[in-house]
Order: sequence, then C-alpha cells, then structure tokens
Amino acid sequence: MLSRNVKRALLDSRWPLPPTFLLPWAATLTTVSHATEASNIPPPLVNASQHVSPERLERRHDQTSSNTSPAAAPTLQPANTSTPPALSESVRTLLPVLAAQGPHYITAHLYDRPYLLTAGDTVRLPFHMKNVEPGDVLRLNRASVLGSREYTLKAAAATPALKSPSMSSSLVLDDTTGSLESHSMVMPEPGVSSSGSRIMPPHFVPHIAAGKVSYLDERLFVCRAVVMGVESEPLRVKEKTKRRQRKIKKVKSKHRYTILRVKELRGPVCAAAQAMHTGLAHKDYGISSPPSHWSYAVRVSLSQIFAMPGPSYAPKNFVMSTS
Amino acid sequence: MSTPTRFFRITLLRSAIGLPTRTSGVLKALGLHRRLKTVYHPVTQDVAGQVFAVKELVDVQEVDRALSDKEMKQLRQPDSGFYVERRAGERVMGS
Repeated sequence: MLSRNVKRALLDSRWPLPPTFLLPWAATLTTVSHATEASNIPPPLVNASQHVSPERLERRHDQTSSNTSPAAAPTLQPANTSTPPALSESVRTLLPVLAAQGPHYITAHLYDRPYLLTAGDTVRLPFHMKNVEPGDVLRLNRASVLGSREYTLKAAAATPALKSPSMSSSLVLDDTTGSLESHSMVMPEPGVSSSGSRIMPPHFVPHIAAGKVSYLDERLFVCRAVVMGVESEPLRVKEKTKRRQRKIKKVKSKHRYTILRVKELRGPVCAAAQAMHTGLAHKDYGISSPPSHWSYAVRVSLSQIFAMPGPSYAPKNFVMSTS
Repeated sequence: MSTPTRFFRITLLRSAIGLPTRTSGVLKALGLHRRLKTVYHPVTQDVAGQVFAVKELVDVQEVDRALSDKEMKQLRQPDSGFYVERRAGERVMGS
C-alpha cells in the first residue's frame, strides 16, 4: 500500500541515493516508534523554541521573495538548518497524530484575509481574481491554522505592537540582584524581518507589523483549488441626490466574484508522501537534487505509524489545542 | 547641503484633536496629516525639536535609509497567498 509506493519511489532511478541511515530501507522499520525523534521531524519543526506556549509552533519563513512570478514555481529551500527554532513538546508528540487523523481543515489566507477551508469546499471570494481562467489550478500557500477533529496546529504569534522597540522599555527582574531594572529594547538590525514577509523592510515598520498574521511553513500542507468561474451580483443602482434638488444621479454597480473549489487538502506528513507519488515533489518542496532529508524520514515515520497495531497515541485532550 | 546619513522615522500614533493649535501646527509641519502616517526627516536639531514638541503623540526611530512612498506602499501590499500551479488546458507534468 503506502509502503510499496514509497519504496518504489525510493528506488526510482530519478531520485538520487537516499541518505545512508535509510539504506537498506526495510532495516529502519521497527515496532518501536521513532516518529518523534529529531531526524523524523521536518526541519521547520525540529527545534521550535521552548519558550513559546505549547499550542504554538514557531515557524521559520525562509522564502526569498514572493514577488517572483507564480508561473516559475517558487523554489522552497529547506529551513535554516543551522539554527532552527526549538520544537515544543506538544508538537513533537502530536504532529504524527494530527497527520493521521483526517480529514483536515485549514485557514488559508488570500491577500491576508482568512478563509476556513476543507477539501471539497466551494469558496466565493469577495473579489474578482484577475489573470486566471476557469480551470486554472491554484496552490494556496499561506495558512495560519491547520487542524483535524481534535488537534490544531497554529503558527506562532509574531506581530509586535505599533511602537518600535526603541520606544518601549521593559522591566526586567535582575537574577543576580533581584532588583527591577528598566531596559530599552534594542532596535532590530536593519534588513532583518521577523515576520519574513515578501519584501524585507529595512527597519521596523509599525503599520505593516500591526494586525499581521503569522503563517505556517508551506511545506506542512498542500492545498489546491480550482477556479470554477466568475459570479456577478444583481445589478444595484445607487441614487445620489440632495434635498430640494430635482436632479438625481444614478450609479450602477455589478461586482464580480471569483468562485474557487478546494480540490485537495493534505495535512502534514501526508503532503510529503503524496508529493512523491504525483512527482510534483521537486516543485512543491524544492527537492531537486539531493532531496531534503526530512521527506524520507517523515515517510518512514508514517509507515511506522500505520504498521503499529491499533491506535495507541497520546491522550486526546492534550495541550496541543483540542477542539 | 550634504546627504543626511541618519533619518528620523516618525509615525503619528495619537491624534491632535482637542490639543492646542500649536501642536497640530507642528504635526502639519512634519507632514503628519493623519494617524499612522509615517514620514522620514533627516536627523537635525530642528527636526529633533519638532519631535520633542509632539513626543507624546508619535513613535520615533532612527534609521539609515528613508523609504519613499512607493516603497512603503509596496511594503503594505499583502501576499497574494496563492500561485497558479497549472493553467487550464495544460498537461500535468510527468503525465
């Protein structure tokens, strides 16, 4: 089943040799679950920071620029493996459970507006999407929440307040003397963007930072939608006039709205496996040559999950945000 | 005059409605006509004095480069959140 297809994909001559620790492939399978080891977790999640709350996963957004034309598939490079964020305990233990518990839902963001979607949904966008024709397949790559019936994966909260760090001061309890001191927060380095948005502002930009959502790593899900067509509202006529003025000006409005249909939504881990089957892996995850390690390791962990006798995962009401 | 190397990045956070006319005059001189508007001014004693007059209303940062209006507008534009993976009528890759 899944293991056969994965094995066939591994042995496919297209792909370069997998990492050594996976050869021979069958030898790594054991009844002991290694799903939560660091090597089996995708790099964006390997070292999520410990100081964030257990429900949050710190996301490392490593895309170079979102201004690249969509036709040239954006090359998603692996997350910064040098200093990846720390992984919180709940994410480490529950991500495989979330992945195995389909169907999934997602809060996708189009132009920063959230849309709660699942596979098979029909979405009427509140705007007319330009330069697309009915039948075009869109890949939605901005999401803040990915969840299943009982578990939810959220991106870490990142938005700072309106005031720049140089303006605010925080009271810090000095560990050595126990006294409260006032410290001015350091201004961020120019060119460094915490939110990792498409253009890097050279310094803190309050009105851009305020109200922004932080997103999950794009490699954690695959969400495709087809453009079904364009709908238009009934004709509305607004009459504009003033009191004791006989002239009435009429303004017509007939807005158009694009209809999308979500044709597939793959949760974490499953996305990697499915991508290998369809051969779109190199486009989705930047796997050119050599493929990134985590895709193999994650598929191995998935096969281990299915090989385990019966569901005996972590208890349902865990910290990782149950519904 | 030499090109200034450092700039004040001034953002109006609080309105001057109800405040003396002099205060709103200072904001107008700085170019802050509405809330959350951001302007860049070189670091000079004049500008520093103006900022000091309205220091309770603004957020100030010292930066190296002044962004133009076009650059700021580009920064405001949100991510589209999607890209066209396949056009209608195209063949799927690999099939």
